[in-house]
Amino acid sequence: MTRLLARAATWVRSALRGFAASPLTSSVAVVTIAVTLILVGAFALLVANMESVLVRFGDALRVTAFLDDSLDADAQRALASQATRVEGVESVILVSREEALARFRRGVGRGAALLEGLSENPLPASLELSLSPSLRSAAGLAQVAERVAKLPGVSDVASGRDWVEGYLRGVALVRGVGTGLGLILALASLLIIANTIRLAVLSRRDELEILSLVGASRSFVAAPFLIEGWIQGALGGAFALAALYAIFRLVLPGLEFGLEMVLGGVAPRFFEWRECLSLVAAGSALGLFGAAVAVASEARS
Amino acid sequence: MTTRLARAARSAESGEVGSGQPAVRLYHVSKSYSAGHFALRDVNLEFARGEFVFLTGPSGAGKTTLMRLIFAAERPSEGQILVLGRNAPRLGPRAVPPLRRRIGVVFQDFKLLPRRTVEENVAVALEVVGAPRREVKAKVFAVLKQLGLQHRRFHHPPSLSGGEQQRVAIARALVNEPDILLADEPTGNLDHELALEIMDLIAGAATRGTTVVVATHDQAIVERYGKRCVRLEDGRVVEDRPAPGGAP
Repeated sequence: MTRLLARAATWVRSALRGFAASPLTSSVAVVTIAVTLILVGAFALLVANMESVLVRFGDALRVTAFLDDSLDADAQRALASQATRVEGVESVILVSREEALARFRRGVGRGAALLEGLSENPLPASLELSLSPSLRSAAGLAQVAERVAKLPGVSDVASGRDWVEGYLRGVALVRGVGTGLGLILALASLLIIANTIRLAVLSRRDELEILSLVGASRSFVAAPFLIEGWIQGALGGAFALAALYAIFRLVLPGLEFGLEMVLGGVAPRFFEWRECLSLVAAGSALGLFGAAVAVASEARS
Repeated sequence: MTTRLARAARSAESGEVGSGQPAVRLYHVSKSYSAGHFALRDVNLEFARGEFVFLTGPSGAGKTTLMRLIFAAERPSEGQILVLGRNAPRLGPRAVPPLRRRIGVVFQDFKLLPRRTVEENVAVALEVVGAPRREVKAKVFAVLKQLGLQHRRFHHPPSLSGGEQQRVAIARALVNEPDILLADEPTGNLDHELALEIMDLIAGAATRGTTVVVATHDQAIVERYGKRCVRLEDGRVVEDRPAPGGAP
């Protein structure tokens, strides 16, 4: 154990020495990873916020069942009770014709004067059905709407299915663009890291030869380069995180209108600490993998 | 005594059998780099444990090639080489480093790391075996003191004289208390007085039980130390003169 720790300390010292020996090429690698992760992170942040809109509005996703005018108050209550037993329905609120009209008046404000001339209430009674958490999606809305429509006394059913489907398509598009762009940039970063480490291997060829002659194993020789790649990746990830946070705090407030359109008034959130760690871990993995590619290719040559 | 015990422990760890075996044994060893051109031809030699041997001969005689075969930097074209009980040419990539850790090599061009200090250069030989930092510091200081370099330990090799660089190379070869010490023309670039000083340091290792093989074309040094002398010419052993009086 002591020997392993001693070796690890030697590797880290050697990696830091290598980092300091070629600050420019190392910085280019760090910046490339940072730029990649800023773009990928920005898309991830947007997708996370858009998804949170669905989660936050989940309890507002409702199916509205309009009732036949022929049903009297007792029949409406019986139907409401029957609707609570429909699979996927969490709760039911019965909205009478009078209540519907009162809501409408409140909703249109001054325009309510237009209703004064009506001889009778044109609005039907309805049941507002909120969904079980597992069915708060476009598909869930469709399933519950279909089941409720079959109840006797229900004349029509409305749900926010079209809106949810459109929003989910938007989320999928953003996620797809982010993933595609991320893959291309990650590949570019990988190549740059691999070349940086390759240059480091070449510039220290004499040192590696000497290490080998005094009995260093292949893993002993390779480990500092892997650590160097890992450090570059982790630094790139940390810089990306800092830049994303700065953008989030300084730039987003100026984009209020655009955000309102995408997030519908939900306050945007930054990454949680686990997601922050994931971003840095992604950078580390990118750096480590790039270094492994370089070391393997140099070992072959 | 400590050195001998350390060696015995290392032999046991490596599974080496028969510590009565010679340190190095070459059977009909030949080495050719291109068709028809042999660096070594049918060499048969044996170096006992603790023996001090000079390899002499003109440039291109095969002295360096013979040493490179011993520390497994190259494989022979023909023949077998037993080094510390291991068949060196048949060792896989994983088995070569442990063998090299038991062999100290002093190269003609020193092979020091210019950007590392004297102390760091010597420490490399201990770091590859994973020695704890405190042990590395202590051993490096001890060997540098023994070679009179303790005051130069924070200097970088380019700022040292040729003799000092040679001593750093010897310190690195000795710090790990090797079973075998190979020195390739260790006095090649030094004046006579300095050459004798360096040779005394190398000879000191033999008195502590290390098998020492020194390649040199300096006949005066060979005569002065009166040890076994193997003469190579054109890749062949043309003379194997034992030490006068049978001294090791």
